Order: sequence, then C-alpha cells, then structure tokens
Amino acid sequence: MASGSSLVARSAILLWTLYSPTSHSEKRSMKTSTENLPFVLAALLVFAGVARAENVDLSTVPKRDTVQLTIYNSEDLTLVRETRSVSFKKGDNPLQFSWVNTRIDPSSVELRFLDHTDDVELLDTTFPHAKPQMLYWNVRSEFVGRATIEISYFTSGITWSADYVMIANPQETKADLTSYVRVFNQSGEDYEDAQVRLVVGVVNLVEKIAELANMPMSQVGQLGAKRRKDYALRAMRESVSNAEGAFSAPMAAAAPSEPKQVIKEGLSEYFIFTIDGTETVPNGWSKRMLSFAAEDVPIKIQYRYRPQEYGDQLVKLYLMANDKESDLGSTPLPDGVYRTFHATEGGSLRYVAAEEKKYVAIGDKCELNLGQDKDVIWELITRRTAREKLVMKMHGADVYRELDGDNLQIDVRSSVAGWQDHVWYGQRVANATGKPIELEVRRAYSGDVTFLSGLNPTRHDNNTVQYTTTVANGQDIELDYEVVTKQGWLSKQNRVEIQAK
Amino acid sequence: MNRIPIRRLLGLSALLIVVVLPAATAQARIKLITLPVRDRVEVRLDHDNATLVEEQREVPLVQGENQVDFSWANTAIDPNTIVFRVVKADFDVNVLSVSYPPGENSLVWQVSSAKSGSAIVRISYLLGNLSKTFSYRAVAGHDEKVLTLRQYVRVNNSANESFDTANVHVGIGDTFTRPIGLSETKELLIGKFPNVPIVKTYTVNPVEFNYIDRPMNKLRVPMHYVIHNDQRHELGTEALPFGKARIFQEDGRGSSAFLGEDWGDYTAVGDTMKLAIGVARDINVVRTIDKVENKRIAGNLFNYEVTVKYEIENFKDQAVRLDLEEPLVHLRQEIGHHSDRPVQWDVGDQTTFPGGLDKKESRVDKAVFHADLPARAGDKAEKSTHYFQVILRNEW
Repeated sequence: MASGSSLVARSAILLWTLYSPTSHSEKRSMKTSTENLPFVLAALLVFAGVARAENVDLSTVPKRDTVQLTIYNSEDLTLVRETRSVSFKKGDNPLQFSWVNTRIDPSSVELRFLDHTDDVELLDTTFPHAKPQMLYWNVRSEFVGRATIEISYFTSGITWSADYVMIANPQETKADLTSYVRVFNQSGEDYEDAQVRLVVGVVNLVEKIAELANMPMSQVGQLGAKRRKDYALRAMRESVSNAEGAFSAPMAAAAPSEPKQVIKEGLSEYFIFTIDGTETVPNGWSKRMLSFAAEDVPIKIQYRYRPQEYGDQLVKLYLMANDKESDLGSTPLPDGVYRTFHATEGGSLRYVAAEEKKYVAIGDKCELNLGQDKDVIWELITRRTAREKLVMKMHGADVYRELDGDNLQIDVRSSVAGWQDHVWYGQRVANATGKPIELEVRRAYSGDVTFLSGLNPTRHDNNTVQYTTTVANGQDIELDYEVVTKQGWLSKQNRVEIQAK
Repeated sequence: MNRIPIRRLLGLSALLIVVVLPAATAQARIKLITLPVRDRVEVRLDHDNATLVEEQREVPLVQGENQVDFSWANTAIDPNTIVFRVVKADFDVNVLSVSYPPGENSLVWQVSSAKSGSAIVRISYLLGNLSKTFSYRAVAGHDEKVLTLRQYVRVNNSANESFDTANVHVGIGDTFTRPIGLSETKELLIGKFPNVPIVKTYTVNPVEFNYIDRPMNKLRVPMHYVIHNDQRHELGTEALPFGKARIFQEDGRGSSAFLGEDWGDYTAVGDTMKLAIGVARDINVVRTIDKVENKRIAGNLFNYEVTVKYEIENFKDQAVRLDLEEPLVHLRQEIGHHSDRPVQWDVGDQTTFPGGLDKKESRVDKAVFHADLPARAGDKAEKSTHYFQVILRNEW
C-alpha cells in the first residue's frame, strides 16, 4: 500500500478533512483532536471561492485503505468502492472529496459509514459551482474518534474483456482452451491493490457514464426526475450492490506461485468473476490474467454451408460444448475473441483463425468458425431448368387454362399466368483434406417450393432445407437434388415442402 | 515499472528481458537483468493472411516471482496474439499475469517459478510485413507431351527483423533454413516435379474468350495447359497454391522459348489447374447464327429454335481437339429475347457434333461440345462445319 504522501503524488482522487477557522474554541478543540490522529498532514491549502471555508483551511488526507473495482463489460462502467479511515470531532465535520482529471460520474458519488453508524450522520452534500470535480460532505458526529467510511462511485475508463486461446492437437480431436480476462485502465486514476471483480452481463444504463463525467453537477441536476431515477442504475444497484454483502478486506499479499484463482459466481442475471487477492493496474496500463485453463477438451469437426450465418461459403468449424463432458461448464464464456491454433506433431503452433464470439452460457454449445478450407472444393452446379405446368389466362376474362403438352391449343389472346420452375442441381463436394469430413448444408428458398431429393433432407424451418452427409477422403461427389417453385397464379404458399426421390 | 531500454544497444527489434526481482518487492530500483537469446525461431507462412513467428528461448528464472519483459520496436507484432508457452522446465513455472504498459510496444509477464533454474519457453505471435508468394516455372518438352514443373516461394521480409537461422514453413514442401536478412526478398525452390503429363486444350466461348475478329465472326481460340494434381500425373502429394506460372518450351536446340504465363488458382489434391498460355492462331472458328424460328405455343408463350453454325479449319500440322462452349443466356439475347428467367433448353436433332452434348461439363447456362480436327494436309486445311440446334423453351 502506498503511503499517504505518494497517494497525493499519484492519485487524482482525494479526500480531505477540513478544519475551518470558524471560532477560536473550535480551533482549539480541533487542535486537541488532531493531536490524537494518526493522519498524515498533507497540506495547508487555500480554497478560494469555497462558500464554506474562509481563506485559510487546514486539511488532512485520509488515505485509501481498501479499494474494490466492479467492472462491467457491456458498458463503460465501473463501480468503485473504497474505504478510508476518518477521524471525527464532535459536531460538524466537513469532508472534501475531489476527483480532478478522472472520469467519475459526480451524481454517483455516495458516502456510507461502515461503523459508528448511530453516532455519525451525513447532513448534506454540496457541489460547489466553481469546482466541478469536487464535493463537500457535512458530517455531524456525536463522538470523537475514528470511523471507517465507504465512498462509492461510478467511473468510466476502466473496462475488461475476455479472450481465449485454443490449441487443437495435431489430430484435431482435442484442444486446450485457455481463457483470459484483461483489465484496461484509462480512468485517469491509479487503483493500487484493488480487489477486482468483473461482471458478465448486460446492464441497463440510460446515460453514458463518460458523458456524465464531463458534466457539471448543476447540469446533471437539471435532468428530468424520471431520467434521474432511471439513471440510478436499478439493475446494478439492486443486483450487485445489495447482494454483495460486506466489503471484504483484501487478502494479505503473499508471493503467489500459481496464477490467481478467478472465482465465478452467478448473481441475478449476471455472473461475477472475482480475481483472488488484489491487483494494481496503473492508469494507462492493461493487465491480462488467467481465468481458466481446460486441457483436452473434445472437439468435433464439421463443415457447414449456412449462408445466413457464415456467408456464401463452406466453412470448417470446431464444435464443443461448455459442459462437464467437455471438461468445461464451470463458468459461462463471456464475449471475447477466440484465437485458434493447431499444434503440429513437432509441438509448434500453426495459426488458424481469430473469431469474436458472443457469450456462451453453461451447457450451451460453442462453435468456432475456422473459415474456408481450400482443400474442400464446394461448387453448386445448376444442371438444367424447365418451366412446367404452364397456365394461360384468357384476355378480358378471369379464365385460366393449363397447357397440356399433348393437346396444344393456340390461343393468341392469352398470356402466361402461372408455371413451375423446375431446377436440377448438383452440389459438388471434393474432399482432399486427408480425412473424411462431415458436412451439413442449409439452404433457404422463398416462395411455394418443393425440394426433391434422395439425400434424406429435413426442414430446418419454414423456408430452409437441411441435409447432412459424410464425404470420404479423396472423394469427389455430386449431391443431386431438384427444386420446384410454383410461380405466378400457381403460387399459393410461401414455404418449402420436402419430397423423397 | 522501471525497465531498461536496451533493445537499441543490441540492434534487435524484439527483445526478451528477465528481471530478477528482490524478494517481496515490485518497486525495486536495483534490478538484475538477463537477456535470453533466441535458441530457435520458426516462421510459419502457411496461413493466407497471417504469419506466425514462434521463438524458443531458454529463460533463467529465480525461485519466486520473475518479471519477463518482451518488447519490440519498428516491427508489426500483434500484441493480442502473443502466446507464451513453457515447453520444458524441471519445476513448476506459471504465468501469473501479463501487463501492457501504456504507449509502448511491450508487455511484461509475471512468472512464478518453484525453483531457480532454466525453463525453455516458446513465444509465438503474428508478425506483419513478412509475406510470401508462390510462383511456378514449367518447361515443356519440344513435343509438349510432358513438362517439368518447378515450384518457388518468394518470402518478402519487410518486417524489420532478420531471420538468420529461422526454420521457415510455407505450408507446402519441406521446412527450410535459410537466412532472410532485413528488407530482403528470398526466392527458394520448394518443389520439382519432372515428367508431368500435359493436357493441351483449345476452347472457344464467345462470352468468356470473345472474338478475335468480330466483323468476320471469328472466335478467339486460347490454348490451355491443364495440369492434374494427382499421382497419375506425377503430382498429387500436396496442394498447388495460388501463384503465377511461367511456361517455357524446349526448342530442341538446347534452349527454351517463353510460351506465356497465367495465374494458377489454388489446386487441391485431385483437382486441376488450367493455365492459359496463348492464343492459337492456326485454328479458325467462325460462329454464326444460322437460323431462328419462333414457335408460338399459346398466347404470348413461345419456343425458339436456334441453329448455331461453326465453320472450323485447323491449319496445324497435327490433329487437335476443340472444345466449344455455347453460353445460352447470351444466345437468347443474340436472337433479341431478353429475360431474367433461366434458359430452358434442349438439344435439337439438327445438331451435328459426333459425340453430342458433353453432359458432365455442360451447365444450365452453358452447352459444351467437342470437335476432333484433323491435321492440315499439305498446305490445305480441311474445313469442317458443325451445327448446334437448340430449342429455347417456354419463353415469353
């Protein structure tokens, strides 16, 4: 822990206890009380223009004893809770809290007494007009001595993200998955020896903290009452602050020999990752820590054609599940980048792909898109097309007549009103990967469609057909199917029907 | 964190420093710094868009917490891709965390060690500005029956880092160890395949290859070498990557002549690479629309019977096979009918190509035929005339 003087030098957030020369007797009592205080006397400062003070103030700087950061990844939002030990005299005790050059939301700063709660009371909070990043608390104390206070506030500029490194074995049957969390501090403040908690989840915010941080409190106060109420961040206050219980003191710093544990707990709609012990992330730095490492996670390879999800290409995927069977499942996998490598027989790494993936809940599947595999040729060949069951509409009348190929009747006063487009396709797949591949194809068709095939297709949804097959190594095959689409007057539905061939 | 900026003194652009910290302090002013050198470097250029460098270093560690600094200058290392792996240590070594200082190309690993001693670690990262291209040089025999295919890789090192003893993998062929200096481009032969049988093709297609003389309706006839990437054709061990292919032919007098060049697409094992070499001027193909007949079926519904005529002369002194491709959407436009609908077509019985339609190569929008052309007899070329009659059905 830094000393009080070094805190002054590094930190932009300061708490001062002020001793105003209001009366001779008060000055004397102040002197008596300060003699007993273990505080470091930080400075004798002039606070020009402060309503409460005269020209000369005496102040002390109670140092930060503990600090806890609760960092959200869905918004630029961090809840900071810090405790400081403050000595009070009987009567009114002005406290000044300032946060120059930081990104703290002034409307979020709160003071709470952790002990002597019956003896101390916050009378009022003043935001001076001339100094936007500062406030005064007026605390009335019924006792003389030290009390622990907790100051909490929201700041922007501290963020975290997860990332993953996946190393598949040479056979691509198993992979080692390592998950990291990385904390970025651009808040303007050094938080030394902080307990760090990372919240996985989407919190509701109606205003950006970064915007509020740049706004004088007088303007924040002009926001509508409802917006202010909303802004109170119900979700976080109720779900996180209340549930967390007492603020535990950081553990004694011993030289660790193992990466720190990241304790994962569910809380309401969120998941909280608490990093064991304390961390120091100076302003401007970022720090990456191990979240978990899973070895030999079973993976399955599948090749997929799903244009809506992966674009118009056949892609290779590693499939796994975030469950116990896969040696995972102890925690959700927060949004993050997965960097996939493939280990060679010699133990070197081959880079495969990087993919940004969304949150994977416990028990949910985790599928990594590795992109196109050039050793699998994928070509859709349209072999033939025919227009069938043509229907003519007589001019001037609501009369339709289906053409019969064997009994043509020429009628110049009619036009085509409906027909069936019949298309014969060959889906060519050539596998030169060195091993058999499992293939899954989804194609969507709009209109009144019949899908004819011997590929045992299934309907994935109203308009989408799915089929799967296996292609042996070295095989160059064409998967045949036909698509019949009713057009014009014949089209009565918008759905695909499957017919075996 | 006080770290000593000594990378410049060493002239290295990527530097590993191990800082041995006195016990129980992270703010020490006195530091012992060791500089583990690279024992082995592997450069993997097998990915299309990324180059992975993996370096192995023996890192001396003291019991307790160690600070391992990794910094780089003027190189495009992607710090988000750096992976630190302990591959050999006789005691427990763990990476506790990684810190990224502001405004610097560096990071600091906090590593705990159960004992004092050395650990072998591998650090891998993606490095920009180190790229590769492939190229081919093929020399065909005088009779154009076989060719010798040489495969080259060209590694362009603009990464501001020299790789003196790096093992380089380019994805195909064997690993090679050649020094690649700063800003150097190195070209290496990575494969040589003799006696690869050549398949020569001559193809006409009025859309894809256009006309060589439009007023005379004379089609351009490009000649291709088709290389089959399989063992039957003395290849097929690995894919042939995308690259420029330059084709030469032995002239029979101990030298060779340049025939032409083309981009070769990535060719998986079992697939074929088709290289356009040049235009065959000794094969004349005149294409004309010989006849169009509209047949009303009902109301506004028509069939069109179209006959395309090909007059072909081979002035070469050897017989060749000509591939004729007829794009049908284009043909429908030529007869004045424009439509978004796919072409429904059938081959008419007036078609004269002896082998009929090549069903394997034909598509919904392309009919493919073949014509075997006899060699020129003396100074006379026999003109052969073929017809493709096609019925374009159900148009309106």
